[in-house]
Amino acid sequence: MMRIIFERSGGFMGRKVSLDLDLATLPPDQADALKLLVAESDFLNLTELPTNTPAPDGFAYSITVKTSTIQHTIQASDANFPQGLRPLLNDLLARARSQ
Amino acid sequence: MPHRHSIFCILPPHMLDQVVQSGTSAQRDMAARTLAASRQIRDRRGNITASVMKGAITTTGTAQRTVYDAKFGTNLPGSIARKEGDAPVADVAVNEAYDGSGATHDLYAVAFGRNSIDNHGMNLNSTVHYDKGYDNAFWDGQQMVYGDGDEDLPASERLFNRFTISLDVIGHELTHGVTQYEANLVYKNQQGALNEAISDIFGSLVKQYQRDQTADAADWIIGEGLFTANINGAGIRSMKAPGTAYNDPVLGKDPQPAHMKDYLTTSQDNGGVHINSGIINHAFYVSAIEIGGYAWAKAGQIWYKTLTEKLNSNSNFQNVADLTFQTAGEIFGVGSLEQIGVKKGWTEVGIAVVDSGSGIPPVPIPGGDGCLKGLLRSVGLAK
Repeated sequence: MMRIIFERSGGFMGRKVSLDLDLATLPPDQADALKLLVAESDFLNLTELPTNTPAPDGFAYSITVKTSTIQHTIQASDANFPQGLRPLLNDLLARARSQ
Repeated sequence: MPHRHSIFCILPPHMLDQVVQSGTSAQRDMAARTLAASRQIRDRRGNITASVMKGAITTTGTAQRTVYDAKFGTNLPGSIARKEGDAPVADVAVNEAYDGSGATHDLYAVAFGRNSIDNHGMNLNSTVHYDKGYDNAFWDGQQMVYGDGDEDLPASERLFNRFTISLDVIGHELTHGVTQYEANLVYKNQQGALNEAISDIFGSLVKQYQRDQTADAADWIIGEGLFTANINGAGIRSMKAPGTAYNDPVLGKDPQPAHMKDYLTTSQDNGGVHINSGIINHAFYVSAIEIGGYAWAKAGQIWYKTLTEKLNSNSNFQNVADLTFQTAGEIFGVGSLEQIGVKKGWTEVGIAVVDSGSGIPPVPIPGGDGCLKGLLRSVGLAK
């Protein structure tokens, strides 16, 4: 199993956008695409980023991936968001924004 | 405070120069502001008074703007799209960022005698077209960054327009820079909400100044024009009536409180900095309406002095209430209409001002004995 919990908060408006995806409930091709993004970003092995001073009005992002054996969370902001995680972020954002 | 009429005087700059160099702190401040304001008036009037004012110290300088284009990527600052003095380009977002940062620079220079973000002529750098579908703008500690809203979605699904569309958003972001160089308020909880409110206040003043609106004529909406026609809302926030800026099936209702009894304790958004700022915003609005006239001239002056001389990184709501009240007493006099107006603002949002008792009697405006003598007398160099 794999579950992805995503949250974007802060920003000029301070509006939270969030998502809680159980990949088992998605069409198989979408679930596979997300699993691939998680694998390609090496998400489960990424070390936590040092907390930085928040940029005024910048977004704060939180991505959690849960499997049957492991749970890992990465928190980042616009200022320090890892480039390697952007493809996964863009996919999650597209889903969250179209909710 | 530098009364605005004095800037129309024709003064030998070397005299003010002398005050700047050897006066007391308050005298230097006043003379510097007069010189600064003179410079701005000269700019506004073009060449008519240029020869008269020649030689004046240019303490507020001119804007040095550069607008960059991130081309829908996230690398900052991106490539140069327009720099200071360049003619308008075909890209409307570039021109909005250029004009908006200029308008913000102008308000700070003319109304408050400030020379850019750091008061030392810092370049105003902006990046537009940041990321794809980026419905936001932020200050990254060094520059302004603007997204294009929901440009990547079909028009019928878009919630947000480009963020440069709203002048007060530009003023808001630039003011985060000013706050960073002054009180440097922690971006969390009450300190963060105060930081946010200061950006809304001066952002709104930029818009009012550009539109030449008095307090009662202004809309006090933050982020006017940011929503597409798909959203039911006037803007992101209302300083006049926090909690009423939008009410929409997709976005929900504007969550801002207008009173301390509705202060929201939350871990989201750095402790609700964009929510609880409504309380401070509304206090400023009430004060500005009570005082009347152009909001930047008196209420803005009180807040500018408080921000630059009294607040620190840990100042909370009670502190800013007490300090703006104290500052109003210092500038306009204890018991003045302006000081009463400030108190009324805080009372309306449920904050009782603690009167430290300091302040000075109102300073008589120099007038009857000539402009130069009056000014010199007011700074203690003539009797």
